[in-house]
Amino acid sequence: MKALIIDDERLARKELMKLLEEHPSIEIVGEAMNADEAIQMVNDLNPDLLFLDIQMPGKTGFQLLEELDAVPFVVFTTAYDEFALKAFEVNALDYLLKPIQAERLSETISKILEKEKNKATAVRNADKKLGLNDQVFVKDGDRCWFVSLSNVRLFESDGNYIKVYFDNNRPMIHKSLNALDEKLDERAFFRASRKHIINLSWVEGIEQWFNGGLMVKLKGGDKVEVSRRQAAKFKDMMSL
Amino acid sequence: MVNKKRLYWTLQITGWLGYVLLQIVFYNFSNETGIPLRRIFFFTFEGLICLGITHLFRHYVNNWKWLNLSVPKMMMRVLPTIFLLAIIIYFLRVPFSIWLNIVSVQRLAFEPQQIMVGSMFYFIMMFGWSLFYFTYHYIARYNKSLKYEASMIEIELNNLKNQLNPHFIFNALNSIRALVDENPNKSKQAINHLSNILRNSLTFEKKGLTKFDDELKIVKDYLSLESIRFEERLKTELDVDPNSSRFLVPPFMIQTLVENGIKHGISRLTQGGTIHLKTLVDKNRLKIQIRNSGQLINGARKGKFEGTGIKNTTQRLKLLYGDEASFKMINENNNFVLTEVIIPQSI
Repeated sequence: MKALIIDDERLARKELMKLLEEHPSIEIVGEAMNADEAIQMVNDLNPDLLFLDIQMPGKTGFQLLEELDAVPFVVFTTAYDEFALKAFEVNALDYLLKPIQAERLSETISKILEKEKNKATAVRNADKKLGLNDQVFVKDGDRCWFVSLSNVRLFESDGNYIKVYFDNNRPMIHKSLNALDEKLDERAFFRASRKHIINLSWVEGIEQWFNGGLMVKLKGGDKVEVSRRQAAKFKDMMSL
Repeated sequence: MVNKKRLYWTLQITGWLGYVLLQIVFYNFSNETGIPLRRIFFFTFEGLICLGITHLFRHYVNNWKWLNLSVPKMMMRVLPTIFLLAIIIYFLRVPFSIWLNIVSVQRLAFEPQQIMVGSMFYFIMMFGWSLFYFTYHYIARYNKSLKYEASMIEIELNNLKNQLNPHFIFNALNSIRALVDENPNKSKQAINHLSNILRNSLTFEKKGLTKFDDELKIVKDYLSLESIRFEERLKTELDVDPNSSRFLVPPFMIQTLVENGIKHGISRLTQGGTIHLKTLVDKNRLKIQIRNSGQLINGARKGKFEGTGIKNTTQRLKLLYGDEASFKMINENNNFVLTEVIIPQSI
């Protein structure tokens, strides 16, 4: 697995690198000192795993993740931060306390390698669009999630925010639907109308609707209207 | 907070008014003919005289600070004084009793026996008044000392939570561990610095003050450790007035403020910054100035648990020095935050 270490302290990065020498399955492809550097490196190097210090100058670890499109696996690191620890516990995130104990690191790496195996192997898009295999980081207030896009059945715009529908949650993220639309793989996600993007693998039923539009029923019960303009395209996609 | 002045006047007025009314009612019911108007006036004037004399008494008790004396010493002064005042009240009353024809025979007012009886009566009243007054103050003072103790305990707890700042300690340990291979000597020094800080925080005394030089050592240890962590991102400057050694300061106060400056200012800047500690001695007062890169936003620093360090500092200053110490934290310019503490020379 390719990993990136993100920490503003050189000695902390050095310590972690030393510990990771014991884990040949993890290959360190880079080190970043702050969020901006990290974003650049993630886009260039495409790591599978991030070791991310939660307290950094400028942007915090969470803010960094919100700015990435697809996120790899993330292990957070912190010396001690009541607030961060609570967030990690509440959201069941992987984290390590500094100074990092070798055993804890081993446990966490095993866990991640396991998760990697279970991820369905798929061809990475040449054009780097987000597909069902990718996961995104979603944060809403005190809660945050790493969500696989295959679990997101619907994106709904709400002012300057987007509601992300997955499981029983509908957290809001601060992004524009148009921007998101451009990043998503159009074979997996379809722009049903100005307000909605749907996950095609969640479509359960389709019926005719007013004005030449369609009413799509998603697994789980949500109903989404496809505008007349998009209806034709939709029919093509579903090869009706 | 009860306004003490208001309370005093309320008690005085209702007390003496009550006394006057009581006298009137009593007289009214013990006399078949009821109470003549002049009697009412008499009682009223009597009440006013008592009010005036007790007010004067209180004024001198405060001026001469009798409340600060031990009870026996206080009584030695109060008893003769109220005896004197009782006699004065009696003689102030005489003109009224004559004018209002309360006394049938003028001479009677000056009979020794009358004087004795009258004065005794007023002595007892003054005694009762003083009893009430002094008791009230002793209770209030006891209360205040309890509050003081409670505050001190609260501060102690806060300090305990603040001093052993886990974030700083674990980060320091992490850096030290990393240094063991890279620079064993430096890691040994770092362990010494950390050990010094921990030892000081464990022997932290409740109301204690510490010598300025000892506090400065703590600050230097702390800055050494933070320099290891931040490396080139932290620049430190110390400009200490040699006369500062004369002063006693609250332990870990300067360290807390320096830590605050680094935590909220410098560690938030990607390029890092400077922390500058300066002390000046000016007319028996010690000025401690800490400047750190960064800015206060909306008059306060952003952060989840911000404020406890500062609140703790201002609380300690108030308790130790009352209004004699000062604290301020402002944006000195676009790049630096200035934190200034001024403390007087300790007793």
